[in-house]
Amino acid sequence: MSVFGGDSWAREAQCRKRRVDDLLVEGIDASAYKKLPNGKFTCLVCPHNPILDTPLSLSMHGKGSRHRAAESRRKERELWRQEELSKRLALSNCVTSTSSSNVSYQQCKRGGKPLIERTRKAASEIFSYEIIEQRNKCRKPDAESVISSCLYGQSIERKEGPVEMMVARKEVVVDQVQQLDYRERRERELQFTAAGWKRDCHGRWFKDENVEFDSDEEDPNVVLNDK
Amino acid sequence: MYLYSLTLQQATGILCAINGSFSGGKSQEIVVARGKVLDLLRPDDNGKLQSLLSVEIFGAIRSLSQFRLTGAQKDYIVVGSDSGRIVILEYNKEKNTFAKIHQETFGKSGCRRIVPGQYLAIDPKGRAVMIGACEKQKLVYVLNRDTAARLTISSPLEAHKSHTIVYSICGVDCGFDNPIFAAIELDYGEADQDPTGQAANEAQKHLTFYELDLGLNHVSRKWSEQVDNGANLLVTVPGGGDGPSGVLVCAENFVIYKNQGHPDVRAVIPRREDLPAERGVLIVSAAMHKQKSMFFFLLQTEYGDIFKVMLDHDNDRVKELKIKYFDTIPVTSSLCVLKSGFLFAASEFGNHALYQFQAIGDDPDVEASSDTLMETEEGFQPVFFQPRKLKNLVRIDQVESLMPMMDMKVINLFEEETPQIFSLCGRGPRSSLRILRPGLAISEMAVSQLPGVPSAVWTVKKNVNDEFDAYIVVSFPNATLVLSIGETVEEVSDSGFLDTTPSLAVSLIGDDSLMQVHPSGIRHIREDGRVNEWRTPGKRTIVKVGSNRLQVVIALSGGELIYFEVDMTGQLMEVEKHEMSGDVACLDIAPVPEGRRRSRFLAVGSYDNTIRILSLDPDDFQASVGGEDGADHPASLFLNAGLQNGVLFRTVVDMVTGQLSDARSRFLGLRAPKLFSIIVRGRRAMLCLSSRPWLGYIHQGHFLLTPLSYETLEYAASFSSDQCAEGVVAVAGDALRVFTIERLGETFNETAIPLRAEEREAAKKECFEAAGMGENGNAEQMENGGDDEDNNDPLSDEQYGYPKAESGRWVSCIRVLDPRSTETTCLLELQDNEAAFSICTVNFHDKEYGTLLAVGTAKGLQFWPKRSFEAGYIHIYRFKEDGRVLELLHKTQVEGVPLALCQFQGRLLAGIGPVLRLYDLGKRRLLRKCENKLFPNTITSIHTYRDRIYVGDMQESFHYCKYRRDENQLYIFADDTVPRWLTASHHIDFDTMAGADKFGNVYFVRLPQDVSDEIEEDPTGGKIKWEHGKLNGAPNKVEEIVQYHIGDVVTCLHKASLIPGGGECIIYGTVMGSLGALLSFTSRDDVDFFSHLEMHMRQEHPPLCGRDHMAYRSSYFPVKDVIDGDLCEQFPTLPMDLQRKIADELDRTPGEILKKLEEIRNKII
Repeated sequence: MSVFGGDSWAREAQCRKRRVDDLLVEGIDASAYKKLPNGKFTCLVCPHNPILDTPLSLSMHGKGSRHRAAESRRKERELWRQEELSKRLALSNCVTSTSSSNVSYQQCKRGGKPLIERTRKAASEIFSYEIIEQRNKCRKPDAESVISSCLYGQSIERKEGPVEMMVARKEVVVDQVQQLDYRERRERELQFTAAGWKRDCHGRWFKDENVEFDSDEEDPNVVLNDK
Repeated sequence: MYLYSLTLQQATGILCAINGSFSGGKSQEIVVARGKVLDLLRPDDNGKLQSLLSVEIFGAIRSLSQFRLTGAQKDYIVVGSDSGRIVILEYNKEKNTFAKIHQETFGKSGCRRIVPGQYLAIDPKGRAVMIGACEKQKLVYVLNRDTAARLTISSPLEAHKSHTIVYSICGVDCGFDNPIFAAIELDYGEADQDPTGQAANEAQKHLTFYELDLGLNHVSRKWSEQVDNGANLLVTVPGGGDGPSGVLVCAENFVIYKNQGHPDVRAVIPRREDLPAERGVLIVSAAMHKQKSMFFFLLQTEYGDIFKVMLDHDNDRVKELKIKYFDTIPVTSSLCVLKSGFLFAASEFGNHALYQFQAIGDDPDVEASSDTLMETEEGFQPVFFQPRKLKNLVRIDQVESLMPMMDMKVINLFEEETPQIFSLCGRGPRSSLRILRPGLAISEMAVSQLPGVPSAVWTVKKNVNDEFDAYIVVSFPNATLVLSIGETVEEVSDSGFLDTTPSLAVSLIGDDSLMQVHPSGIRHIREDGRVNEWRTPGKRTIVKVGSNRLQVVIALSGGELIYFEVDMTGQLMEVEKHEMSGDVACLDIAPVPEGRRRSRFLAVGSYDNTIRILSLDPDDFQASVGGEDGADHPASLFLNAGLQNGVLFRTVVDMVTGQLSDARSRFLGLRAPKLFSIIVRGRRAMLCLSSRPWLGYIHQGHFLLTPLSYETLEYAASFSSDQCAEGVVAVAGDALRVFTIERLGETFNETAIPLRAEEREAAKKECFEAAGMGENGNAEQMENGGDDEDNNDPLSDEQYGYPKAESGRWVSCIRVLDPRSTETTCLLELQDNEAAFSICTVNFHDKEYGTLLAVGTAKGLQFWPKRSFEAGYIHIYRFKEDGRVLELLHKTQVEGVPLALCQFQGRLLAGIGPVLRLYDLGKRRLLRKCENKLFPNTITSIHTYRDRIYVGDMQESFHYCKYRRDENQLYIFADDTVPRWLTASHHIDFDTMAGADKFGNVYFVRLPQDVSDEIEEDPTGGKIKWEHGKLNGAPNKVEEIVQYHIGDVVTCLHKASLIPGGGECIIYGTVMGSLGALLSFTSRDDVDFFSHLEMHMRQEHPPLCGRDHMAYRSSYFPVKDVIDGDLCEQFPTLPMDLQRKIADELDRTPGEILKKLEEIRNKII
């Protein structure tokens, strides 16, 4: 064989190199670098994640001053995080016991947004209470109220008593008809635009000159005005 | 998105073929190149072509040649590929592999014009090989032998000549003088310099001889002479005592004999009588056959006619050149004349065939000769002939080929378990619609009704040494029927079998006695007719039996096992009893190993979900050695078990300890599989009967488990008689069926429906729409081509081609086909030189017709010298009679060729040249409602989803458009950055499209999520309207997320799932007739595993022909996020130590890797 296999020294050399590489890499903390799919390495400590071609250069990089600095920064950050975590843990206990003290407030402010958090919590409590209440009420009255609330897009205030319910129901029905009518009309208009009609500044319809029409096509000026 | 690419069916077309004795000795084999696959074929004793070996080389094979060193017994293969290397291969018969003997690098990789690889020529004495490029470069390698008789190859010698185009090269047979190579060359140096074009018109082809001086180790131009400008092919003429030496130059209308210092001997090629005068006749393939006393050539023309060429010579002087009509077969890319009297015709398109010579054309027939050549003022006098039926050849086998696959749909029209693939294949008169189903093809030999519903069937021989089976025994619930096999199959009563009771097993025991096991005992019938009966003790009955040739184990109700052995005298002796804890569900004994008296293991499956392996050794009888769950059947090393829930369970049995390991399971169907051992191609195979039959067998070293395309069977046994050497007899319902299994190793079986599609010019587009309508699914497709006369010839067009018309004529039709009955229900011929180019079904909103068919056509389309046409039309047809018949509604003229049609929101979208237009249905014509003219070239595909339109441009990849109803406008909002020449496309999801380009790449593009959201959340529409891109492009760009080089032009893409309940994958079909799938990975672990496996495979198992795998898959664009399953699946072909090494690096065992490979394949098919 000319090129492949056989007893060439190349494979042995390759093995030796790989072994050396392995030894080099062994000394470095596994979380500090990552092996990329293309066989290169990237340093996870340095903020700009430099790419290093060989384990040798990785180990050299590990001894560099920048890397050292980054490493110490990282450790610092880790420590700080740990501290913060323990603080928070302690805090979460104190919040439940004492409603609000100045110290805890300041502490919380730095970490998250405790006020917003608290508001949200309160709101959710109120909402969930309301939903339960609503459900209890909704059981009797029929589906219309649900529809209406959907239509208005907000939950309407509900009062006790059958009279008000009746009034509300009527309003809803009228409104629904109007809305449907508007939608239908809009749909018809869209159909005409899609068919190639256009509107002038007076709102009258005219045919687009680039579009072809059937001989007996409906005229929107007539059709839509009739309605 | 990560994809796993797997070829489901290798390419079926053949680009070149060579024949020789590659395994040594007298055998004759054929090596064929199918694009990126190298195949070794051999005609077997029955004249069937068998594929011995198929290797994917991950590169493009451009030329093949074979040579033999003087005095050697074996041929070597030289491969010219796109790797920039010359590779010499040897076939290793023992390992069944191609071994790479030499690989020499000479240039850059890729198909380039000056890098050699396109042409190969061999010195007929096997002393040198020339490898040439299309232009300039030619290299000569000297082949020799070293002291250990190994083949050596020299460093290359250059025979370059710049500014030269090469048309053909070949070796010249000059005995043992210095090797000479001949080439047809054209010097374009002057034509390049001359701006007036006069030199280009006067350019002249030359025949040049290159001599390799073995003494000086140097190549020189020996001789060059002008040759006919129509010359296209060279054929070696035998020399050195066998013939006059020199070459045959095949030119337009002529064959010319040329040699140095010899006058030209020229003869005209006979013409078909109906051939128009302006058409020439070209030779496209040639073969030479040489025997001790004579030699002749077979030359095939572009119309398929084969001529036999003979040289009348007196030593070195050629007196006469005779060309005699031989036969007509479909046009081939290569002809191979085998020494065993066969002709292998590798068809250019459509099925390949193997012919046998009936005669060698000695009978008188139309003949042109150099002696009778007459020259008049109009030129040489032509000779005419009329094609006739085959006289000298008879076809004995054919190999299916899907090449070229033009279009494909995957749809379940027949409501089967898996969808069918409907593909349009072939070209011209050999076009066909082929229905592909996953599974092996079977051919049914006989079906006969039985008097009742049988429960089981067996076949038995009378003697171990018999070739054929003697009886078929069929068991009914209360009786047994014995049929003897002879000339006919008939019932007999003198067989000695008990016929008043059902049977549990019937087999041959010992060397020549028969055994019948029935519920109340064992009946042992000796050769001389004596019957020994063994009765069960008490009222207990036999429930299960397991036996091989020398051992029988029966299980009695209650769970007692009794073990019998055949002793030296042929008696069946009870040896042991063993009490099991409960009833036995099934049991089996492994076959007796060669040269032993017994098999060591018995497998017993119980109803407590265990399989126990019991030892049958006399010293440690029936010690339980293993445990697993299910029911059984051991095949050699493996224990296969069919479980109640329809799963086949396979484990390896350790031959020494009997331990079970490496369990794999596969779901086969809804019924509990029953397993039977049968013989396929002389090897044991396993037939599993679940809701459909499956066959587990070994093919080229791989274990394959493939469904059979056949109905549900109850019970089966192997069958062998003199009509059917290797068959299967099975019972289903009340019928007895005998069938054989064919074309092992293939993934799909096909049903072909010939189409009357004729075609002339290039660019044929066949489009095909399969729409399920009502109960009977109908497929509409159209095909087109060129031909203008009606053919009243009794000869089939498939064989002889259509009569040729002048150029620029088209014939096209629209056909509605019922795939169930394969019958054409409607055939509409397009008139007036009109041809159809696109088709789609469309439902117009608020119109009364329901589903309509739109067909885009062009009239008088010409591609050369300039693309032109008379008119383009869109036809609208309506379906009548339940979709069986079409009726023309109207026809609308458009100003371009409509190459793409698609339904969109109740209207019709048409791509007419560079214009995308929306049509509505009018009373007399289609009404143009809206258009966008901003597409760069020509629209070739349209897909729609909701209000988005995905337009594929012929040269510029995808454009994403949006239709705004309120403004009645079409906007292009995104396009691709890469100019892709689109050949196929498919819509994946809202933001993603899959496409394939003409260079053989498959790619996916996706609109980035934020851009997509922005476009969807543009309430006023102002942005989309006023935003402009740079350099006339669209404002947004899609991103390429997947890229992969397939190495073959993909013509159709489809999203489908080929297994019941499986995930969807992208199925593609290619011009070469291969089918493949791209499956997306579901877990990150799998991606990691397979990418590492691929990486190791790349390193440890470089492709055979020297192309770097990574470079090949990244030929045009770097491969992205696709793992090559074809490479990974070569893992089992590696030597065991290499397998182990790779497995170690992946922290797994080779078995686990094989299991993983099998799993992922089973997810696709």
